[in-house]
Order: sequence, then structure tokens, then C-alpha cells
Amino acid sequence: MKSSYLAQALVVCRKELMDWSRDRRSIITLLVSSLLAPVMIGFMFNSLASRQRQVEDVTVPVVGAAHAPALVEWLRRQPGITVVDGPGDAEEAVRTRREEVIVVIPEDFAKQFAASKPAQVRLISDSSSQNTRPKVQRVRTLFQRYSGEIGSLRLIARGVNPVVATPVQVEDVEVSSAQQRAAMILGFIPLFVMITAFTGAMQIATDSTAGERERGSIEALLVNPAPREAIAAGKWIAGTATALLSVIFTGGLLFALFQYIPLQDLGLRFQLGTPQLAGTLAAVLPLVPLIVALQMYVATFAKSFKEAQSYLSFLMMAQMVPGMMATMNTMSTKAWMYYVPWLGQQTLMTDVLGNKPIHPAVFVVVAITNVALAIIMVRMTSGLLLREKIIFGR
Amino acid sequence: MIQVENLHKRFGEVRAVDGVTFIAADGAVTGLLGPNGAGKTTALRMLYTLMRPDQGRILVDGHDAVADPQAARQRLGVLPDQSGLYPRLTAREHIRYFGELQGITGVDLANRTDHLLKMLDMAAIADRRVAGFSHGERTKTALARAIVHNPKNVLLDEPTNGLDVMSTRAVRDIIRRLKAEGHTVLFSSHVMQEVSALCDTILVIARGRIVASGSPDDLRAQTGHQNLEDAFVALSGLEADRSPEAPGANGEAAP
Repeated sequence: MKSSYLAQALVVCRKELMDWSRDRRSIITLLVSSLLAPVMIGFMFNSLASRQRQVEDVTVPVVGAAHAPALVEWLRRQPGITVVDGPGDAEEAVRTRREEVIVVIPEDFAKQFAASKPAQVRLISDSSSQNTRPKVQRVRTLFQRYSGEIGSLRLIARGVNPVVATPVQVEDVEVSSAQQRAAMILGFIPLFVMITAFTGAMQIATDSTAGERERGSIEALLVNPAPREAIAAGKWIAGTATALLSVIFTGGLLFALFQYIPLQDLGLRFQLGTPQLAGTLAAVLPLVPLIVALQMYVATFAKSFKEAQSYLSFLMMAQMVPGMMATMNTMSTKAWMYYVPWLGQQTLMTDVLGNKPIHPAVFVVVAITNVALAIIMVRMTSGLLLREKIIFGR
Repeated sequence: MIQVENLHKRFGEVRAVDGVTFIAADGAVTGLLGPNGAGKTTALRMLYTLMRPDQGRILVDGHDAVADPQAARQRLGVLPDQSGLYPRLTAREHIRYFGELQGITGVDLANRTDHLLKMLDMAAIADRRVAGFSHGERTKTALARAIVHNPKNVLLDEPTNGLDVMSTRAVRDIIRRLKAEGHTVLFSSHVMQEVSALCDTILVIARGRIVASGSPDDLRAQTGHQNLEDAFVALSGLEADRSPEAPGANGEAAP
């Protein structure tokens, strides 16, 4: 009895997989959804890296360089700084975003400087433009340093120890913004991986439930003596297989991608290698059967693909909520979070990517919880297959 | 053999099936004849176990279809009202899939599949995907998968509905053949000629009740109409408000 149950589930599973593999649309969906995470993560890291480079090599347009040759010469000697002649309409150039920052040295600079009075340097920038902020900050810091150096020299010339002019010393312990951003990008990985699992399962989950209803093949299928549990289980196994396939595919691509991202250059403590990838997969794979079971249960209520797809898109948004919350503001991790589906995966993957040690038993318990919930869900779906409204309602 | 006793099913206020009793014998073709909405499909759905009767008993070869649907299903081959196919599967794969679900495997399944493809004259289309099939080809495929396990009892819900002449003929041949092999065949139809040409017993159903039953000759004699169509109209009470309580009708009067 037990073995025939399994045999019939496998018959259904094989048929669904064969049907699925012949649908070009489903193969394309799988490939595209698998590419989502690697492409997005790659893109985000790339733009972060290029922004870093931008700050390192700064071109500073200077208007009125002739009024302060010593200052400009000092600027030129700073590593990564290139000084060029600024445009005549400095403010207009920045406002129209032709230039990001422009230094204007007024005519009376030399006179004021010589008189040991504060000599003005105008820094023209647009603070509403987010991207230029690090660059403006860099230039401002340079001028502050120059100012500090000259001030010290003046004090020494007057026989005063320059230290007295520094009553408070501020020590910057900077958690650089690049590092923060990189960590945030890594926080997106769990989210993307779960979206991939979701889309990977969607074809079979809808086709084998709402699809059977829409085509009118459900009556003929259910007239078979195969138990409903076996039929539902077979469809579930097939859906889980395709979802796992896309998650593993995505994992492989991410791993390949990490080999090319110069994380150290971004000042990251993170090491991304086999253990991180294995940990990520171990965290997310047990959720996949549950995702599929939930999709199937919901899609069984739908009379058509279209209806099923609109239900499932709501479901997809709902499943992203824990991930979003975790990326937006870092909730403090509590023990119970590991065992709540979705939230648990997010927490586990964040730990894994942050190289936080996790007890292996946690993985095991999480896996068991998720799969057990999935099996309950499949049983509920097979219960739906007894309802006359589901079988005949169209 | 299928025995039905006092079957009832209502949807809200509508009594779709209202006290139906009959026997469909082995080696005979029984026709369920009635106008649209008479309760044919609802009655068949209860017989093939996907709908639960409110009241009544169904025995398939002695197995209670309500208490033990699994056992009944093993003895039934069904062409349901909606016989949708899987567009990306071939005709042969449809037959194999249902055969495997019935627990048939290996050489037995291959032989049975080949036999059905030959019997239904489907050799040319056996390995084509059903997406491009004509209505007749689809019906044949659905019929083949329904009887892949060589069931003792065959239920067909309007099997020739919408088919062209050649396909209708093929389906009729199958029905005769099944009868000759000793199967119980029960099919529904609203087409007079078809029922009179094929059936040993005709059950005339109207408003959820069997209003007459017997051989085509019996029905003519009962109503005094030589033309079976006139007999049918008279029996089903479609004309005026006459509701003849014909002999052989087992329906309990509705309050």
C-alpha cells in the first residue's frame, strides 16, 4: 500500500516534469529568474566599486588659480587629485550638473593671506545630488588640512606650540560608507534567492492545479483510483524539483560572481567562498518545499492560470516582507526567529554571510520544521481535491 | 454491473437528481436519455465518485461507491463531462500516464496501449502532441485513456457530442465492441437516434427523475407513439404541463 502510494506519486511527478520540460516558457522563466540574483548583486557591487574609484581619483576644476599659486601647487601634489581650469560660469555649471564641484579662489586671496586674515575659498557644490557628496567631502577635507598646516606654521613662527590651538582632538573611527553599502548588498542575497525559488516553482504549481481546472482535465485525473494524497504529493515533488534546480543554479552563478568581485578593495571583512555559499543554500533549500506547497494550495483555489498568477504575485510580495524588514533596519536577532519560515531563512543567511558561527543543529531543526509544514500543506491541498466546488467549479 | 438506488442530489433549491433508481447490466448498453439540465451529468458524476450523493446507494460490481470510492474507481472507466487533455503530451503518453496511475506497468502497459491505439484507429496520431488534435482525435484520446485498465464498467458522458460523422461512428463501434466483450456500458445523450441505435435499455430522465425505462420498443409501446422522438417528448413532459407517471419510473414524487 505504502509503496504503491509512492509509486503513484512518482508517476504524477514524472508526468509533470515531462510536461514542464516541453514548455519553452517555463524553461525561459527558470533561466531568467536564476539570473536575477547574480545580475542584480553584480550590478550593485559594480556601481559601488566605481563610486569608490570616483572618490579616489578626483578632478578639481579651479577658477582663479593664479590668485593662489602656492595653494594650487599644494593641491596638485595630493595623491589622486588632478587640478584643471574651471569654467567661467561656475555656479551655473554645477547647477546644471556639468561639474560636480568647483573651487573658486577670489582675487583678494593673496592680500588676505598675506595679512594673516582668513582668506576665502569658495566651494561650489549641489548638496541635493547624492552621488557627488563623497567627492565634495574629499575636497573640503583637503582645504581643511591645508588650512590646518598653514595655521600651525603661523603659530610656530610666533613661538607658540601649535598643539595649544587644538583643544579637542576628534578621532574619526569611520565605518566607511562603502563598507556599509556592501553589507547591505549582501543582505539582498537572501531576498533574491527566495524570489528565485518562488519563480522556479511557479510554473508547475499553477499548471498542475489551476491549469488542470482550466483545461478541464481534473475530472479525468481524479477518477483514477490513485489516492489524492499521492496525486498532490507527486505534483509537489515535481514543483520542488524545478525550484531547487533554479536555486542551485543561482547559487552556482553567485559563487562564480564572488570570485570576480574585489571585496577586499571595498574594505570588506567578508570572505565569500564555498562555506558561505553552502551555508546560504543550507539555509534556503529547506524553505523551497514549503514555498511550493503553499503556492500549490493557493493556486488550487484558482480556476485559471491568470487567476492563480495574480494570487501568487500577492503571495510573492508577502514572502518578501521579512526580508525587506531585515534589510531596511537590522532587527536584533532573537532565537525564535530562526524557526519562523522566511524570517528564519533571512536570519540564517545574514549570519552565514556575516561569518557568524551557527550551531549545525539549528540548520537541522529549521529544515525539519519547514518540510513538516510543507507536508501539512500538501495534505491540505489533497483535501481540496475532494471538494466538488474545486473539481467542477469553473 | 451498476446498481443505483434512490439517488438524490440538490444544489440549493434545485433538485438536480431527485430519486433515481436503475440497474445497468453486464454485457448491455444502457442509455441515459434526457434534455439538457435533466440531471444526466450530475447523476453520472455521482456514479463516478467525484460527487457525493445527498442520499441513495450506488453499487459498482457490488462495491459501495460512496463508502469505498477507491474500489469503485478501479472498476470504472470514465469519459467525464470535461475531458481535457494535456496539450504538450502525445496521445500515447496520455494513455501511458493513466495506465500507470491505474497501476499497470511494463510490457502489459505497452501492449495495452498499442491495442487501444489500433482499436481506435489512432496509429497515425499516436506520437503527436495533442495540442493540434481535432475534436474527434481528442475524444478518442480521452476514451483510450479512460479504458486503459480494461474496466468492467464504462461510463461515458455525452461521448459523441460535437463529433463529426466518422468520429461518431468510431465511438459507436467502440461501444458495441465493449458490449460484445461483456462490459457494462452506461452513456448519456440527448440524441434520440443514437440511443435507439445502440441501447438495450433506455432510461429517460427529466427534472432529475427517471420518467420511463425499457427497450426502445417498450418505450414506443408505453406511449403509443411509433416515433421514438414523439415518445421521448411525451415522456419527458417537455410539452405543456403534462407530467405522465410512466410505468417503470421509480422517482419519488417531489412535495
